[in-house]
Amino acid sequence: MTALPEDAAGSEQLPGPGSPAGDRAQVEVRLPAEGAYAAVLRTTTAALAARLDFTIDDIEDLRMAVAEANAMVLEQADPGSDLVCTCHLAPGRMVLSVSVASAGAVPDLQSFAWQVLTTLAADADIDTSGGRYTVTMTMTSSLSPAHDPATGAGA
Amino acid sequence: MVDPGQDEDTGEQGLTGIELTRHRSGRFFGVLHDADAGTATREQARDSLVTLHLPLVEHCARRFRNRGEPYEDLVQVGTIGLIKAVDRFDSERGVEFSTYATPTIIGEIKRHFRDKGWAIRVPRRLQELRMQIGSATAELTQSLGRSPTPRELAERIGCTVEEIVEGMESSNAYSTLSLDASSDDSDDGPGSMLDVIGVDDEGLANVEIRESIKPLLDQLDPREKRILLLRFFKNMTQSQIAEEIGVSQMHVSRLLNRTLTQLRTSLEAED
Repeated sequence: MTALPEDAAGSEQLPGPGSPAGDRAQVEVRLPAEGAYAAVLRTTTAALAARLDFTIDDIEDLRMAVAEANAMVLEQADPGSDLVCTCHLAPGRMVLSVSVASAGAVPDLQSFAWQVLTTLAADADIDTSGGRYTVTMTMTSSLSPAHDPATGAGA
Repeated sequence: MVDPGQDEDTGEQGLTGIELTRHRSGRFFGVLHDADAGTATREQARDSLVTLHLPLVEHCARRFRNRGEPYEDLVQVGTIGLIKAVDRFDSERGVEFSTYATPTIIGEIKRHFRDKGWAIRVPRRLQELRMQIGSATAELTQSLGRSPTPRELAERIGCTVEEIVEGMESSNAYSTLSLDASSDDSDDGPGSMLDVIGVDDEGLANVEIRESIKPLLDQLDPREKRILLLRFFKNMTQSQIAEEIGVSQMHVSRLLNRTLTQLRTSLEAED
């Protein structure tokens, strides 16, 4: 990641760990668990990634991964429930968890969506405990030193 | 169409292709701008000028091929540009007509891209931003050896990250995909998007049911099996079955009910 002088980065740069707001650099979005809101979630998460120094390609990957995670949880969502997406932000790195209330959901690790998601994300996991169906994934910028070259073109 | 080639003194002998076009073009413009010529003659000269310079339009349109708009459409809008150029051209100025017409034709084609290229209308500002992002992305990818970040793009273009995000979002509006659009031009491929979107195949679900019901049918006694066969495969009424087997219709009804219930419970027990 290119280090910029404080003033050059300005307000465009999101506060990361170390800054006063860094310890709670977390964004949560709550939407009705309906396909019509999928675009809102994609756009929101992509806009966050754009400020964490993800490259254009990384952002496209993230959009796709979010879309697949969204599709997976919507299939399992209890009728009338909400979808909650939590994003933990760090420079060059975003951990997203997409979650819905779901009674008795069983994770389908053979599904196409899951295959796509695990390919795009540095790390991904499905959790079905506590009556919720949660897909968690770690997306990294290819500029970040922690970037796993296996998941994309390294810096 | 006025054909100067049929005139006696054309002075076209020994002229090469381009010179010939120029020569004819000059002659037609002479007729077009001749105040003494009749309306019909001038109209004919105008038509001939347009036809004569059509290859120029095709040449210009070819430069914009593979950009998402059909070549034929580009030739059409380019031709409109050519017609405008013919009407506005002033031969007194001493410029070649092709020099004058080319910017007009290309301008018309570019306008077509601006006005018609986008499937969903977005503000002009965003359309231009998208083009800037497109070219800046290409340049930076080349110079950095990797895909650029929105911040790098913003610095290159001289706008904010916010605007880059907005511009990327608006790109989605450039082209939409119709469910009825054919996936490609070939005839043997799937007809349209709608055709390749899958539906649950009822036949497949039936295979499962048929397979699980088979062993259950084998366990039925011959008379029950026969009644099922007559009812569901030969489509006979209960009364017809009663006659065939030699029992009362009421009895057939009872037997059928019992068999079906028995099959259903065994099936559900299996699940």
